[in-house]
Amino acid sequence: MHSTGRPRSAGVIASTLLLGLAQRVCAAELPVTILQADGRPLAGAVVVAEPAVAAPRPRTPLQATMDQRDLSFVPDVLVVRTGTAVEFPNSDKVRHQVYSFSGAKTFKLSLYAGRAHPPVVFDKPGLVTLGCNIHDGMIGHIVVTDSPWFGRTDAQGHLAFTSLPDGSYTVRIWHARIADAPSQLERAVQLADGRAAPTTFQLARKLKPSQHNHGTDQRWDDY
Amino acid sequence: MGRLLTLLALGVLSTAARAQADLDLTLDVRAVASDGLPSYLDGGLGKLRFDPDHDGLRLGQLRLALRTPVTDTLGFTAEATTWGDHDKQSLDLIEAVFDWRPLPGSAWRTEVRAGAFYAPVSLENRMRGWRSPYTLSPSAINTWVGEELRTIGVEYNLDWLGALEGHGIDVGLTAAAFGWNDPAGIILALRGWSVHDRQTTLFGRVGQPGEGKVDGRTLFYDDIDDRIGVYGGGSVKWRGLLELRALRYDNRGDPEKEAPAIDDYAWDTRFDSFGARFTPTAHWTIIAQAMRGITEVGEVRSKWYFHSRFLLASWQTGPHRLSVRTESFSTRQVATAYGSYNDDDGSAFTAAYGYEFSTRWSVMAEGLWIRGRLPLRRALAEPVFASERQLQLAVRLDL
Repeated sequence: MHSTGRPRSAGVIASTLLLGLAQRVCAAELPVTILQADGRPLAGAVVVAEPAVAAPRPRTPLQATMDQRDLSFVPDVLVVRTGTAVEFPNSDKVRHQVYSFSGAKTFKLSLYAGRAHPPVVFDKPGLVTLGCNIHDGMIGHIVVTDSPWFGRTDAQGHLAFTSLPDGSYTVRIWHARIADAPSQLERAVQLADGRAAPTTFQLARKLKPSQHNHGTDQRWDDY
Repeated sequence: MGRLLTLLALGVLSTAARAQADLDLTLDVRAVASDGLPSYLDGGLGKLRFDPDHDGLRLGQLRLALRTPVTDTLGFTAEATTWGDHDKQSLDLIEAVFDWRPLPGSAWRTEVRAGAFYAPVSLENRMRGWRSPYTLSPSAINTWVGEELRTIGVEYNLDWLGALEGHGIDVGLTAAAFGWNDPAGIILALRGWSVHDRQTTLFGRVGQPGEGKVDGRTLFYDDIDDRIGVYGGGSVKWRGLLELRALRYDNRGDPEKEAPAIDDYAWDTRFDSFGARFTPTAHWTIIAQAMRGITEVGEVRSKWYFHSRFLLASWQTGPHRLSVRTESFSTRQVATAYGSYNDDDGSAFTAAYGYEFSTRWSVMAEGLWIRGRLPLRRALAEPVFASERQLQLAVRLDL
């Protein structure tokens, strides 16, 4: 970038002012916290804020990647907007055969290494569970949502949406280990004047046991 | 059977040439020190693969393997090996198997294996070529499986993949029908248990005590009585931490059927096998297996009960792996008119350390100490009680 000092500074100041104004008018904070039954925070949980009025569809095609490394899906959970094309590269030295029989997306990628298949478009909202027909220990998830506002909780079980317009939302949470009934995992939230009351999900039931992939090696076989 | 397998292998090879076939090669060279009795491979009743006359620098194994997709859901694997000691063929098959595994449309999945392959007994032998990543020599139970058992037939598996649906548990059922395993039991009965990694090849031989240089037998995997053998079992995998297996095997041999060409009867061998593998962390693996069974032969129905169990603990971090295993084993011949001096009682302790320099180069050192009482040794003027020790250092190249 080339510009003289003075106009550049002026531009930066103007932008900052405009941004600040915009945030005050239509952006707000919607803090969400998820606590396990014993009070400890739940990290890595998916949080989606679904607006009552459907958000506009993205103008450009959306793309995402679900990698396979060391006999694991990476990331373990991918959250994408409906219509996203997800590529499934195989970074392992062994072949994988990825499939899902979930209602939101049923697909099969024949045995492959590297980048043999075109991306898969996830065109319906819902939860998609991924498996590998060669390595049963490989389990991954894709959460497909119509909403543009989603994320995962941090180590403190916390996620704050910071760019939501005022309005009514349904906040939904998901984690592979949550055992509570689905009705307990959503909350109506009103965002007015850039503010919303903090939303805390206190889980009532103990988490389901976690799934591990210990003591395996991609060079081994399935005897 | 040999021709059929060869034809099948050739058919697959032409497919493999077009598909993306994987070719594996393993060269395993050993430096060995042994104070054991003359090895069973040389007509002795020692329990080790190497004896003092056959130690020093040895070929552990030269292995060639082909695995290739035939169609999207059908794969073919052929494992061939040479051991460098008394091989009947310079390179012979250990396994040749088609594996059909259609993609599941629900949590239920079927799988069919056909050819010559291992029954799901061992929880140790996980590396390609049915090798153990934990020690050089598998336990007595799995040594015997490698010596005398091969499923030459068809196996059906039905799996319920509950972990995919968030239940944290996978359940599998397996059933198989097979032939060509009628001599199974003879080595266990006449020599007792052993601890080594020398798997019998499909067209190879196993030594019998007193016969010298393993020339006594022709085909080992043979069908003598035209009766189909069966096995059935189940497995449970819990959260990727615990795997349990159980199997009931019966080769349904007719003990009165004799094959004069190989001077042998069909041995009627049945056993139950149980196993558990626990991987509580990324570093630790604990394996326990037990087997109990019976084998019978001849018009007089000479009968041996056999039993063994082991416990293995392995710790791995980065390129290092340290494993220890303790085991005990016995065979009991039910008294007949011919006496019962074929009993075998013993125990073994194994410790191994492995280091991987790269995905290609690795070394493993193993100390094996095996003690036992085998009255049959009197016939060969060998001590009935013996304590045998073997040290091995393997250098392995995997391509």
